Amino acid sequence: MALLEAEHVVMRFGGVVALDNASVDVAPGLVTGLIGPNGAGKTTLFNVVTGLLPPTSGTVKFDGKDITRASVSKRSQMGIARTFQKLEAFNTLSAFDNVRVAVEMNHRTKWKHRKVNDVAHEMLGKVGLDEVADVTVGTLPTGSARLVELARALACRPRVLLLDEPSSGLNEEETSSIGQLLLELVADKDNDLAVLLVEHDMSFVMGVCARIHVLDFGKIIAVGTSMEVQANPAVQAAYLGGDEFRGAYAGVDE
Amino acid sequence: MIFGVRRSVALATSLGTLAAVIIAVFTWKGAPVTSETFLVTTYIGLFLGALWAMYATGLVVVYTTTGVFNFAQGAIGVFAAFFYWELHVNRGWHSLLALFVVVGLFAPALGVVLDIVIMRRLRTASLVVQLMVTVAIMVLLLSVVGDIWEADTPRRVPYLFGINNGIDLGPSQLPWHRLIVFVVAIAIAVSMRFLLRRTRIGTAMRAVVDNRELAALNGARPNVVSSTSWALGSMLGALGGILIAPELGLDPATLNNVVIIAFAAAAFGALKNLPMAVIGAMLIGLLRAHTGAWLDFGPDFRFAHLSIAPLLLLFVVIALPQARLEVGRLAHHLRRHERYTNWWEGLFGCGVVILLAVMFSGGWLDFGGWDPGSWGSRELNSANEAMALALIGLSLVPLIGWAGQINFAPLAFAGFGAFVYLKLAGDSGNGYWILVVGLLCAPLGALVALPAARLRGLYLALMTMAFAQAMSLIFFPHPWVMPIIGTGRQFPHIELFGVTFDDRRGFFLMMVSVFAIFVYALVLLRRSRYGRRWMAINDSQAAAATLGVPVVWTKVVVYAVSASMAGIAGVFWATVSGNVDSVQGFDLLIGFNIVLLVAAAGVSIPMAGIFLIFIPLFKGFGLRLEDAGNVDYLVTLLDIMTTYGPGLMVLGMVFNPRGAIFEMGRGFSPILPWRSDARAEIAAENAQKREPEIGELGLERPFTPEEVIAIDRRLEILDDVVPKEGYGAPRS
Repeated sequence: MALLEAEHVVMRFGGVVALDNASVDVAPGLVTGLIGPNGAGKTTLFNVVTGLLPPTSGTVKFDGKDITRASVSKRSQMGIARTFQKLEAFNTLSAFDNVRVAVEMNHRTKWKHRKVNDVAHEMLGKVGLDEVADVTVGTLPTGSARLVELARALACRPRVLLLDEPSSGLNEEETSSIGQLLLELVADKDNDLAVLLVEHDMSFVMGVCARIHVLDFGKIIAVGTSMEVQANPAVQAAYLGGDEFRGAYAGVDE
Repeated sequence: MIFGVRRSVALATSLGTLAAVIIAVFTWKGAPVTSETFLVTTYIGLFLGALWAMYATGLVVVYTTTGVFNFAQGAIGVFAAFFYWELHVNRGWHSLLALFVVVGLFAPALGVVLDIVIMRRLRTASLVVQLMVTVAIMVLLLSVVGDIWEADTPRRVPYLFGINNGIDLGPSQLPWHRLIVFVVAIAIAVSMRFLLRRTRIGTAMRAVVDNRELAALNGARPNVVSSTSWALGSMLGALGGILIAPELGLDPATLNNVVIIAFAAAAFGALKNLPMAVIGAMLIGLLRAHTGAWLDFGPDFRFAHLSIAPLLLLFVVIALPQARLEVGRLAHHLRRHERYTNWWEGLFGCGVVILLAVMFSGGWLDFGGWDPGSWGSRELNSANEAMALALIGLSLVPLIGWAGQINFAPLAFAGFGAFVYLKLAGDSGNGYWILVVGLLCAPLGALVALPAARLRGLYLALMTMAFAQAMSLIFFPHPWVMPIIGTGRQFPHIELFGVTFDDRRGFFLMMVSVFAIFVYALVLLRRSRYGRRWMAINDSQAAAATLGVPVVWTKVVVYAVSASMAGIAGVFWATVSGNVDSVQGFDLLIGFNIVLLVAAAGVSIPMAGIFLIFIPLFKGFGLRLEDAGNVDYLVTLLDIMTTYGPGLMVLGMVFNPRGAIFEMGRGFSPILPWRSDARAEIAAENAQKREPEIGELGLERPFTPEEVIAIDRRLEILDDVVPKEGYGAPRS
């Protein structure tokens, strides 16, 4: 059963239709992909789901409840966490304090029996940032700041994790370790975690996503496994005749 | 939504109308309302509105095209009005020539210079820095006006074509001046709207503010565009100042306060909508004229009619829809370790401060040959005033420094604290009531922040300014609030732990102790989860919200904390002299100076508050030096420092947004034996400053000819291999 559902979401900015009747559902225990060309509306959908933008019409449901009108912080407390495509780390705080803010906000509800600092260290460790815990995030390289955002999101102990291009700014090795981490997180039954991943790195998406939604001009044009999506002619047309996919496919198949 | 009207708009409109009706019923003068008097009042209102519309148009044009909200708009008008007076009245130039020189030549030049030297660099700065810098320009311009045209000469700017020439309207006359103002203001608003919406440069202007790089790629020239905007804005401010001066008189403060009315009008159009801003200005004009004609607020509320603009701003703010959460601006620095003063360092620092204060006031420290021990009451008064200001300044540290929320009303909160103390402690001077004052001021802070906290940060700044203005016009001058007494102390000496602090030295030491306690509390607060949360919403509200931080509530809380501190400080501020001038003592301009100084010092660091003691101390030194004689240049120097210091220091924030204390701390901390981390950081920084290597060149930018030569030398390429016309020339 889907944990998070966005149903028939329409988002208009003046005359521009960023999302046109888009529906996405995310189930626990697996990584769901959301792909599409630049400007397809992926980040807008994230903003609608997390409450940063009120949709023109449509509903967002979490665990069966309608949360379309719930505030951003309320949704976070319910268990929706995210990272941002354009970095939104707390630049003047250290990496450790970035994560601590998140732990403290969820301490009473989700981390009851643990010390704040322990949880924060654990989360930084998960993304491999132990060494830079005391460094001001604004002075870290972009890739590391992205990982701080990921650690911060994990510190909210989410049930749904929305990741907006986590691999940009990371090298191949780091990207694959993030992929590994995501697979481990969703595989852990205790977490009961659902991940929705927006990503441009196709081999990364095809490698970790069990199910993929394809967004183009605000519309969902295809849903399915990586094989199904790649075989879809509409998707190939959207992606410049599908060259990008053929390359990615070769990488994934082996 | 009811009938397509947002609930907040309906709420504010009905609240406003209700309040207006109630006030009108109670204050009705009883003057007969005839169609003639009504018409005359209406035309005066429209004329006033037209003047304010001119200012508001300038504000909106600059804000929509550069993203900077210019607090100095009114001060530009003040300067222009005085300059116009100089040329036209003092030097006898023809009015049109003087008008052309000031509005057509000087004002655009000023705008372009401001843009090139300062404003362009503010594009990616935080809101705090942007606002502080424009406020600093305001204060500096006003200081320059005060220095060039001293206040002792009475001056008048004449009406264009005289007051007696015009159209006959039956009971009264419409002078050409007013008719021209009305027509010009409307023409300017219409043409600006046309310029922004229908012309190429206008489209470019609006595009540049959204995305400078993208607009540049599409052929707009961002620098030309922003200079044009500033030149236009400056011209509108200058024209407004010159045209309004005959009506209001040539007084810098009065003329400058017009800008608050313009803010309210601009807010009416959500700061970006020109037609709505003009309607807002007209509405304020009409309200102002009609309340003046039909209502009488009595001597207790003698300034009430001036507070229409701040009150209207309040209602507009309530009516505005919730803003989208702001996305933070990314600034990149060299890698640095974040480190806050820890508990024992804080204790140590506070101990040093108290020790210095004891030595200083006890006369054990010798400052360059004169003996502080012989300080009279005047010098100690200066020192006490300084400490009280420093305490008020500290209240801004969590608010502006950490949460990034601006408050121009620290003195209004301080004044409220003084008022509460006066009512509670009465003649007893019982110091324990000060704690209660702290508790009672917190809700006031929350109340001020609540309507604006859901909006963009700029509205909070405007809101606090409106609040400060309304308080000093309506609340403080009321005789019940602060009764005016001829002699004796209105605020008795504070009594605490059985000791009455009635001598100035003792009082000074008590305030220093309170200062140390405040600083220490802030040191601990910054390391706490609340401090972290406040800094988090400053960096990114959107991200904080997605982690579960209730953003609006967090802002309200930090305002409450700040107001509480300011309220406590206010008790000391009032007790220093024993009597506060209820009109001047909590003036907005002093408040501006406090905010500026703390900001320039580095408002995120508690110790920054100590900077505030400089101004009154310098003044004290100045007085003393003057008495001693033979040191005129020093007196002048101190005078310049106290007048221009705060503004100039804030301009430094353009280049160094974290403030002076931060940089001093960076220089100082490696000396401390336990700060090996600071030493390592400096070393790392120096290592990064090495010369660029050949391998790095050409990646970030094209080679310069010198670099080409350097590469050629390194690769041992002989001169005759290099083409004579160089590499840049097209090949045939």
